[in-house]
Amino acid sequence: MPDPSFVFAQSLSGLTAAMFLFLIASGLSLIFGVLRVLNFAHGTFYMLGAYSAYQIVQWLGAGPGMFWVAVLGAALGIAVLGGIVERFLFRHLYGQEELYQLLFTYALVLVLSDAAKIIWGTQQKSVSRPPGLTGSVSLWGATIPYYNLFILLLGPAIALGFWFVLQRTRAGRFIRAAALDRETLGALGVNVNALYTGVFVLASFLGGLGGALVTPVRTIVPGMDTEIIVEAFVVVVIGGLGSFWGTFLGSLIYGQVLSFGILFFPRFSIFSVFALMAAVLIIRPWGLLGRPLK
Amino acid sequence: MLAAAFFVPALGSRFYTFLANDVAIWALFATSLNLLVGYTGLVSFGHAAYFGIGAYTTGILMKQLGVPFLLAFPAAGLLAGALALVFGFFCVRLTRIYFAMLTLAFAQIVWAICFKWNEVTGGEQGMPEIPYPNFEWIDGVAAWLPFVGGYRASEYFYFLSLVLVGLCMWSLHRIVRSPFGRMLETIRENAERAEFIGVNVRLWELAAFALAGVFAGLAGGLFGIFNRGVFPDFAYWTKSSEVLIMTLLGGMGIFYGPTIGALALIVLNHQITSYTEYWSLILGSILILLLFVFPGGIGGAVAALWRRLQTRVHHA
Amino acid sequence: MQRRQFLLMTGLALLVIPPVAHAQKPIKVGFPMILSGPGALFGEPALKGAQMYVEEINAKGGVLGRKIELLARDTKGNADEAVRVSRDLILKENVDFLVGTLTSAEGPAVSVVAKENKIVFIAPIPKTDQLTAPDKLHPYVFRVAATTTMEGRSAAEIVAKWPVTRIATISPDYAYGQDVTRAFVDYLKKLKPSVQIVDQQWPKLGEPDYTPFINAQLAKKPEAVFSSLWGGHFVNFAKQAKPLGYFDAIKYNFIGVGEAGSPESTKTMGQDYPVGIWGNSYDAFYWDTTSPAHRDYTARLSKFTKEEYPSSWAIQGYIGLQFLTEAIKKAGSPDSDKVSKALLGLSIDSPVGKITIREKDHQANRGQLYGKTAMDPKYPFAIMKPVEYVDPTKFMD
Repeated sequence: MPDPSFVFAQSLSGLTAAMFLFLIASGLSLIFGVLRVLNFAHGTFYMLGAYSAYQIVQWLGAGPGMFWVAVLGAALGIAVLGGIVERFLFRHLYGQEELYQLLFTYALVLVLSDAAKIIWGTQQKSVSRPPGLTGSVSLWGATIPYYNLFILLLGPAIALGFWFVLQRTRAGRFIRAAALDRETLGALGVNVNALYTGVFVLASFLGGLGGALVTPVRTIVPGMDTEIIVEAFVVVVIGGLGSFWGTFLGSLIYGQVLSFGILFFPRFSIFSVFALMAAVLIIRPWGLLGRPLK
Repeated sequence: MLAAAFFVPALGSRFYTFLANDVAIWALFATSLNLLVGYTGLVSFGHAAYFGIGAYTTGILMKQLGVPFLLAFPAAGLLAGALALVFGFFCVRLTRIYFAMLTLAFAQIVWAICFKWNEVTGGEQGMPEIPYPNFEWIDGVAAWLPFVGGYRASEYFYFLSLVLVGLCMWSLHRIVRSPFGRMLETIRENAERAEFIGVNVRLWELAAFALAGVFAGLAGGLFGIFNRGVFPDFAYWTKSSEVLIMTLLGGMGIFYGPTIGALALIVLNHQITSYTEYWSLILGSILILLLFVFPGGIGGAVAALWRRLQTRVHHA
Repeated sequence: MQRRQFLLMTGLALLVIPPVAHAQKPIKVGFPMILSGPGALFGEPALKGAQMYVEEINAKGGVLGRKIELLARDTKGNADEAVRVSRDLILKENVDFLVGTLTSAEGPAVSVVAKENKIVFIAPIPKTDQLTAPDKLHPYVFRVAATTTMEGRSAAEIVAKWPVTRIATISPDYAYGQDVTRAFVDYLKKLKPSVQIVDQQWPKLGEPDYTPFINAQLAKKPEAVFSSLWGGHFVNFAKQAKPLGYFDAIKYNFIGVGEAGSPESTKTMGQDYPVGIWGNSYDAFYWDTTSPAHRDYTARLSKFTKEEYPSSWAIQGYIGLQFLTEAIKKAGSPDSDKVSKALLGLSIDSPVGKITIREKDHQANRGQLYGKTAMDPKYPFAIMKPVEYVDPTKFMD
């Protein structure tokens, strides 16, 4: 029977992974909820956010506060990229079949990931932890790095902030309305096009932010985009496509299943997350907290 | 066209034979997917699962159990079809994006099993060296039949692939031209209306799903031998997207569309990778171009052009 | 008159043509290698080593009067891709030989392609025993790297001397990791039967997040750890493990085969490197042998790669090509069948000493440097100090 401090440590590492995943998955869920499209390129936005953060750190040096500038800068940069993609390319596909929209996002993956290779080369890159968050603390027998603790607090903070925006602000109301019935919204005089662009920009910001924040913990390699997007798919399916808290819950579940899977049935840990995804789709397709699509 | 393909080895270059063999197998794989996507309107993101199952089945049977090709090849199709039946049962109960997600989930499950089940599938390193089918009997035949003897194993296998792929394509063609095929198209056009007139849409979709799985499995069985090795990547979702792109590139609305797509994509890939390593960039750009300008794919564009020419001729 | 002139012209022409005809086509060598992702940390320098050798030998006139042309392709660390590029190199580019592959998944896969096309394939890096195992051996495959048996046993000999009994392992879940860990465990148990293997973790190759594995291992409270995580994978692992107190918990009783002690690994990690662990390396620029050949090679390498502290992996690419060209010279022809016979029992004087490919299993007696890492005031990164070359001959069977 494993001792409690280990269980605690393991679940914390699952939670940390979950928070990173939540940042990406929330953007994915947002785009799906409003635009009804599963954006394959979201993982690539995450990757580009990571590369951009690395690049900015290279330019500015590793002085105090520079890491945070890099993170913010990267996230904003990706947000702009998302806006450009939506406004000039994606918008023209709205009337078309879903398949075409999906394949477009996949084409973006191909183009953008090679662009990353051209710009940054193929060697893996890494970023150091920001000074100030380099140590670790001992809690209940487990050693927890400060940076991980920070992420564990940031994740729910962003979730709450997001939820506040969706529930309490005008823009948030429009977003929720667009998710339910876009035609009526247009008929009411709301600039639906601008709304769509805004949603895409916001989602890209989140994806880029996730990528930038993950850099001190994981190395930046080509292929990190295709790996993470499938994980994000699992999370939004489990939680419920289009549901915000569902995505949060889905990330938590995913993180824990993977962590403890490695402990209890190591050979099946990868298998079990996909089995879980399939099970949710079979039993309750709209996810744990989602609503049936119609 | 098939007859012409038989003469490729005569060109003398082993590379051309290799290329043609590659195209033939992928053409079958893509056409099997088109049964689902083009004819039934069901977009699957996990078709590579059946391809992978077919490859592993043939590989395991032939390499580890010494089963002859004549049995191992149909086994690939059968096992893939059986699994397609099971997975499909759950998938067809869902629509659109949920359907796609579940096909993806099942494919990733297959991949995870192939990837981690080291004892049976060889795990990450896969199973290199799948033996060729036994071609020794051909030398006996060559004694009294001209043109038959004197080729390498890889060329014999190429001829064999052509024959088998040809048979499969012929079967698929019969299927789509039959009342079954027409029913699938009706379902694609408007599933609700089909329900109203009493059609058990789910059953037909399941049948299409299973058949697509069978042919994908057969393609996989051939590919495992052709590739001289079976690897877990065969079932990974990026393989599914490759074949989906091929189908789109060639044109989903035409039977030979996916074949054209396979030919175009593979030839282009080999040409471009000689000059640059940034194949993904080129492929992505082509795809974007396609989506915006030629949604019908190459086949669609050619067909549209053909029709335009015909009306011109009529009016002239 | 005209006929005589014509004959004179023809005669002169004939005199001129033969030397021009001697400018023959180059001997093409395909070089499939990992050039992207975590494996590129080792793959890129290996390519550089090969390129340097080719440049040097071409400057001396090439081999049999022909220049060597090296065609490198990225395998991305993926066996399927390695097969693809190798076949492309053979069928499309018509290479005469293959030297390359890095992982123990790529090696055996490409070996099959080489066998089928009857092309000599020299593997300078893959370590799995399976590459030259009796059922997989064929006339065209040769290996100038260490084997997992050699490496595992060398490490076991070192760990047997440590005052520990609870041992854990963490290795990537594929041929290399499995084979070397097994060799280590089996030999260690023979040397020190009191040893207990308390935990074994198997992250997949290319795992981005090692923390669940690290935690799971710490829970079993091992006293020492054997790891075969290599290259960029080791770098990622160590970066994640250090803040979690992993190395402190095992008091740095950690041996990382997979070249954790190589200058590439220590340089890349800089301050993040867990100084005090044991590692190995194929070469080290600071390894001060009495051999002027090694010092000369290191100086040339430093110049070629424009690095003050050149990499340790270049040597493998270098000796791979060296063996090939020596064999071509000995065979007197670039025909693979002749070259493969010439390689059997061939010895070369490499910059790290004399290496011989034995006839029995086409395996070279390539040992490695082992040592405990420490900081040295001369360098801004950790080095192995003390470091010694472990002769593998007694481990080869």
